[in-house]
Amino acid sequence: MSKIFALAAVVIKELYRRKDFYVLFVLTALLTLAAGAVNFFHDDKIVRYVKDICLLLIWVSALVISVVTAARQIPAEREARTIFPLLAKPVSRWQVIVGKFLGCWLATGVALVVFYFFFAAVTGSKEQIWPWGAYLEAVWMQWAMLAIVIAMVLLGSIFFAAPSSTSTITLVVVGGILLLGTHLKVIALQQPEPMQFILTVVYFVMPHLEWYDLRDFVVYDMGIVPLRAVALATLYAAAWSGIFLLLAWFGFRRKNLTT
Amino acid sequence: MSAILQTQKLRVEYRTRDLRQATKVALNGLDLEVRAGEVFGFLGPNGAGKTTTMNVLLGFVPPTSGTASLFGIDVRQPIARQRIGYLPELTYYYKFLTAEELLRFYAKIFGLARAETDKRIAELLKLVELESAAKRPIKSYSKGMQQRVGLAQSLINNPDLLILDEPTSGLDPLGRMKVREIIQRLKEQGKTVFFSSHELGEVETICDRVAIVHQGELKAVGTVAEISAGFDNLEKAFLKIVGFQPSPAP
Amino acid sequence: MKISPLSTLVGLLALAFTLATGLALTTDNWSSRAKSDNLFGMLFGDGRKLFANHFFTMADVYFHSGYYPSIFDKNSGEEKEIISASHGKKESEEDEKNEDFLGQPKDWIDAFGRNFRITQHTHLENHNEREILPWLRLAADLDPQKIETYTVGAFFLREHLGRADQAEAFLREGLRNNPDSCEILFELGRVYHDGNHDAERARNVWLLGIKKFFLRPPDQQKEDKLIFEGLVVNLAHLEDEAGNYGAAINWLQAAQKVSPAPGALQKQIDELQKKLAALVPVTPGKLY
Repeated sequence: MSKIFALAAVVIKELYRRKDFYVLFVLTALLTLAAGAVNFFHDDKIVRYVKDICLLLIWVSALVISVVTAARQIPAEREARTIFPLLAKPVSRWQVIVGKFLGCWLATGVALVVFYFFFAAVTGSKEQIWPWGAYLEAVWMQWAMLAIVIAMVLLGSIFFAAPSSTSTITLVVVGGILLLGTHLKVIALQQPEPMQFILTVVYFVMPHLEWYDLRDFVVYDMGIVPLRAVALATLYAAAWSGIFLLLAWFGFRRKNLTT
Repeated sequence: MSAILQTQKLRVEYRTRDLRQATKVALNGLDLEVRAGEVFGFLGPNGAGKTTTMNVLLGFVPPTSGTASLFGIDVRQPIARQRIGYLPELTYYYKFLTAEELLRFYAKIFGLARAETDKRIAELLKLVELESAAKRPIKSYSKGMQQRVGLAQSLINNPDLLILDEPTSGLDPLGRMKVREIIQRLKEQGKTVFFSSHELGEVETICDRVAIVHQGELKAVGTVAEISAGFDNLEKAFLKIVGFQPSPAP
Repeated sequence: MKISPLSTLVGLLALAFTLATGLALTTDNWSSRAKSDNLFGMLFGDGRKLFANHFFTMADVYFHSGYYPSIFDKNSGEEKEIISASHGKKESEEDEKNEDFLGQPKDWIDAFGRNFRITQHTHLENHNEREILPWLRLAADLDPQKIETYTVGAFFLREHLGRADQAEAFLREGLRNNPDSCEILFELGRVYHDGNHDAERARNVWLLGIKKFFLRPPDQQKEDKLIFEGLVVNLAHLEDEAGNYGAAINWLQAAQKVSPAPGALQKQIDELQKKLAALVPVTPGKLY
């Protein structure tokens, strides 16, 4: 495990020494503060639209950070040839995959905590309440979802040579699932065969990332989701992450790294 | 003396894009043995299979058939690399890390304790003369400094077997001397060194035994004296063994 | 024949100047979009209306605290907005049932997924209706010709948030952008009557609304008969409050001609006739 954590630590160092996170955080902060500064009908108690905009920006930023960071891990190591001195050490390819995953996931988690603290500060200054339970649930669920996404990206990065290809394809897939995942069954039922069958299979087989979007609960002050559901969703995320990581390892373990 | 490094009938084939030839044979039944405590030179012209052999030994490339082992452990097991150090020909390390962070990272991979890591890092930074630059990111280093970082990381775990891929390539004479000194010191400590090189003069000076490969096959193995017997020097023996035909004099 | 670089350059310069002279006359006649005084109009062109519609829908979503059908949900076909500017009418039970677009879970994924969705039909209340205002403001900025934005915004400002002055200001802004809008005039009358208790101003504004209504083409009058009914019924109530029962009856009779529920109006007419009979007869007011 210490090898995996050592690999993860290098990934985290890389993230906070690059500029991606800071640029996205500053952008999120500026847009949120700008949105919060607008005076609608001389009412300074209006807060939900600020929450909505801020949470949307956080979701987009976290997704970009996680996908871009994970997409370049293995390809960048191969291109920079740093993979060779690494694999010349007593570390297995499975440990490399898991270490990269853990590093990306922990780094994204740190970014999420920073984003949500900012969110809590801005919204709390307006509405004077801090529903920490709801915030914690929202952070946890988003982090769990990003585990699936990062594992998916790592799998893609084994097969696509360019990080840009992996990032683009993953963002399209994730965006599609988040927007349409809930409605795919309804869409399928409206289609003729064989499209209905295909879409139904996709609906049952795909990871349902839309479950992890608790923004509405935070924006509309709807309280917390039952903990049992959160626990099951966490297990679901762990299972999907495991599946993608295993597939990534299958692809990586026999790969000829010199070509 | 027991074999530290061994290959038996090692064969590696690559798929090619050439329609006339579906696969290319990089190594064809290589039988190699390196004994404990010796300095072993691995020679051959470009494309002979030296790098492929190293890639198999280090686990980068799976063999098509045959076996390869380090300290009696199949090279496909990560634990086989616990007691080795590797210096690649071209030094590529994480540019965003400092030399100290890089060494600390690799020490963790080897499972070294904190106190021993601190001690080894201090010793190695002194050995490669990078103490003053240890806290700067590697992207700010010159090529020579990066190669010295490479040498330091190859020694972080105090390896019993050092695998060096053209260790003096690109170094100035002082750098080459430093590398030779380090190899000599390791030999005196009872370590084994396995390296590939094109510098036959250096090979003659420091190697106990050499092997010459050509077109994926082992052509000769033995001490420098045994291989050079009947020739003026190792270079002439090498050229004869690899089948070099000199152009007729005008 | 070899052409020298210098003559090529001269030729290109001549062509460029010729094109510039010719195009300068043409660009002056391009559409007014580039000269728009509205930033959104300049940036987005007619696409701003799509955004305006989306933001108006967002106001509805906010009113229902996120419980809202998507474009894929069956019962959402008519895009019936709940945030209507009707005068205090609560949703019927049937409306409530129609809004239960989720239905039974289709499978275990849908069932489990409902733990993470808002599944309760609620409305904002206790002054939380303020949360829909930003979206209405944005919708109005993006599409000043969308009348519903002003009427809905004013309704909530007046009825739920008790800010008649801001409702009036919002409606007046809408009126500047849509001077012939009966709907805005109707709502403005509600502000004066219900908010400011100024019957005279309410009457004037509603009468103006009726005048504007009759300026519409006959086909459009048929389509917009509900707003006419709203105007005349409110005028009838106004006259009733003022004791002008005859005028009130006239207005209600005018409303009966277009109302989908003439029976209910007849009951009101009958009651007014009883009140009138109890008084000294007066000449009924003229119908404009």
